[in-house]
Amino acid sequence: MGKEGKKKYINRLKSFFPLRTKIDETYKKSLEAIQTGKPVAWAMINAWYGDPILRAMDLETVYPENFGAVCAAEGIAESYLNRADADGFPSHLCGYARNCFGYVSRMTKELKGEIPPEAPVGGMPKPIFLLSSNIGCDARYKWFQALGRYLDAPVWVLDMPIPGVKELFREGVYERCIQFIVEELKEFVQFLEDILAMKMDWDRLEKTVHDIEEMNRVWFEINELRKTIPCPMHSRDFWSAMPPSLFLAGRPAETLILYQEMLKEVKDRVDHQISSILTEEKFRLLFSELPPWHSLGVFEKMAERGWNFVIESWGYHPPPPLDLSGISDPLEHIARFSFHFHTAYFKDALEEKEYYGYMGYPLLKFAREYKCDGAFFHLPLTCRSTSTHQLYLQEKMRQKLKIPSMIVNGDIVDLRLFNPTEVIKRMEPFEESMESYRKMREKKS
Amino acid sequence: MPEGNQGITRAKIIYRDRLRRGKELKGEGRKILGYLCLHAPLEMMTALQIVPFRMLGDIDENPTQVDRFLPRAFCPFVRSVFDLSLKGKYDFLDGMILVHSCDAMERTGRIWESVVDHQYFHFMDLPTKVSERHQNFFRESLNDFKKTLEKLTGKELSFEELKKAIASHNEQRGLVKSLYEVTEKVSPKILGSEILQVIGAITSIPVKDGNKLLREVLTEIGRRKSIKLKGPRIFIWGSVLDHPAFLEMIEDLGAHVVIDDLCTGTRGYWADVKLDGDLLGALAYYYLVELRCPRTFKKAPNDGRRKNYLADLEERFGYLREFIKTWKVDGAILQSVKYCDCHGFEIPQVKDFFNSLGIPSLLLEHNYMIADKEILKTRVEAFLEMLRGGVE
Repeated sequence: MGKEGKKKYINRLKSFFPLRTKIDETYKKSLEAIQTGKPVAWAMINAWYGDPILRAMDLETVYPENFGAVCAAEGIAESYLNRADADGFPSHLCGYARNCFGYVSRMTKELKGEIPPEAPVGGMPKPIFLLSSNIGCDARYKWFQALGRYLDAPVWVLDMPIPGVKELFREGVYERCIQFIVEELKEFVQFLEDILAMKMDWDRLEKTVHDIEEMNRVWFEINELRKTIPCPMHSRDFWSAMPPSLFLAGRPAETLILYQEMLKEVKDRVDHQISSILTEEKFRLLFSELPPWHSLGVFEKMAERGWNFVIESWGYHPPPPLDLSGISDPLEHIARFSFHFHTAYFKDALEEKEYYGYMGYPLLKFAREYKCDGAFFHLPLTCRSTSTHQLYLQEKMRQKLKIPSMIVNGDIVDLRLFNPTEVIKRMEPFEESMESYRKMREKKS
Repeated sequence: MPEGNQGITRAKIIYRDRLRRGKELKGEGRKILGYLCLHAPLEMMTALQIVPFRMLGDIDENPTQVDRFLPRAFCPFVRSVFDLSLKGKYDFLDGMILVHSCDAMERTGRIWESVVDHQYFHFMDLPTKVSERHQNFFRESLNDFKKTLEKLTGKELSFEELKKAIASHNEQRGLVKSLYEVTEKVSPKILGSEILQVIGAITSIPVKDGNKLLREVLTEIGRRKSIKLKGPRIFIWGSVLDHPAFLEMIEDLGAHVVIDDLCTGTRGYWADVKLDGDLLGALAYYYLVELRCPRTFKKAPNDGRRKNYLADLEERFGYLREFIKTWKVDGAILQSVKYCDCHGFEIPQVKDFFNSLGIPSLLLEHNYMIADKEILKTRVEAFLEMLRGGVE
């Protein structure tokens, strides 16, 4: 964990704490259930594609990506990375995957399937199956496929179509994609019914889907309020509060209530012009991609100088709300919502002739709408999914929006690559850059 | 060796000067579309008299312009090709078809389309799985591609023309297989590095010209003497190798590269597209199911409640047995460019498969550029010596 300064400059939301307590409680109950023999699935983040199904089938789910981040933050990842290297996995592969290979190798080869004692947050027990998808990157399914070396858990891949920006609007393409996803889900349900020897509770699925949609609608509304000046909610609070949405940590119905409380607090801050930093908001920034989980203390240093982080990348945010009131089939709800997550900004992207419709274009849109003065691009070495577009966007933001950015190298698990001291040294020159570009934008408007 | 520009010599010239050949074709009034990967349906372009042109990188050219758009920790092959495009080397193309075969191509494709002003750019998504339903979905994507091609050319892509195009490309597949039949022999008459250049040549000219070239090459080989190398007989597996330097290095050390599983080698030529019935459906089956690339998720058919690792390996790599047995392989070199996730995740499992067959293998990761050849030479040398000594 990064060391935090004694004085705090980020004005954390109070409503985050009961949310955190609820997440921890649910996690603890989940661990207890697993320890009593309840079956466990390992899943990749899947943009609400497979998760509602898992939840409706009452399956305990563990997210190895999340586990990788925790291992990095706890300082345990290095031993697992070294083990993955020794097992022949190239060192450029996703850090979360290599962390997982090392963990599983130790669990199965040395400990006969028992959870390693050093594993943080109770570790990950052996799963009955692995849920992957092609959403996000190739690693998402190649990683779980490679776990076959250690685990006899079958792999299920949920295929998500991702057409091109222009291609999406060709006749029939959108609906064809939706039908495809619905059929994918039907097959997945059949697989689960077989492996769990139980039938899907369709009423429960319908309720789960409804709760997820409502929860995300409120979560979206909270984040819209961050467009206000000064911004009422810092990125630190966003990252802390996003697991119930992204991983369905906690129960959606309970999270909905807690997000509604958070919405009230954020609205109150907007009404009273309360900022999420305790210094004057001098600069509004966008943070691109995964934060350095092990060095989050650096944000306090930045807040001290008046840097308010007001928005993050597309991949962690729910999509704009979608009216699905005319649809009764919960599988179709899931299909439309998840596909909408990927394609919600394609229309705007097409109008601006930007063809990186997801991951790329939304960042331009966010930087504009959240009135950012600068962007902080964190370039994780072993995550190509989150690093590919950043140089391109840096250039686009500067040319098109007159917003400068700083690129900082790091990694999702290798602590050695991110240097907080370097970041702090670069702050002052970057402030000059942000000031200069601000004047350019003012002159232009 | 025959005099004049014929056969293998002509192939090498076309391969090495392929960009010039592309400009010549453009000058002759041909429409040319670029593609990066095997999954682009070539037959559909050929049927409309478009020349499909495989875009390769350049291991001798230092990528510079691409640094504005792509990080350094990224597929060096895609970086190289994109860099050449940014430098105008591919300006003769009328456009590109980019298939979602891997992250590198998909993500770069989005940027490519945004920054390079091609008259035509088609992005084609490709399912990850291979069931009939996925094939049907892909078939519809091919139909979308058909429509944009028809708009580009102002012509209809007829069933008859498509059938003829498939027949020509199938003929090419057969001719390339004939080249590899030569390397089956104990003392082959063609080097693996030469085959790679021949394939590099035929992927930059119209298919009928390519077939003519292949027949020339096969005739020339028929007159050649065997190439005596001391061995061993090597199988190359892995990610894109679009320059013969790597194979030449192995051959200079006395080994024969007799067979490969590369997208610049056998992968594009080992099965035919069916010529009866629904042709788009046949293309969907070929390009999704028949093409062997780690980007496609395959698993053992009875992988229900419990995964059987050996059955899984057999389903995914079992086709390599034929190569090992028929080409009397002594050892395998498993190579991959750095930052290739599809091959990178695959490597330990392919190695497990070769181990299960008792075939020694060497893992090599490289940065694609020419300088890497020397760095890898020592390791290759040691591996070959080990094979020659018969010591595990």
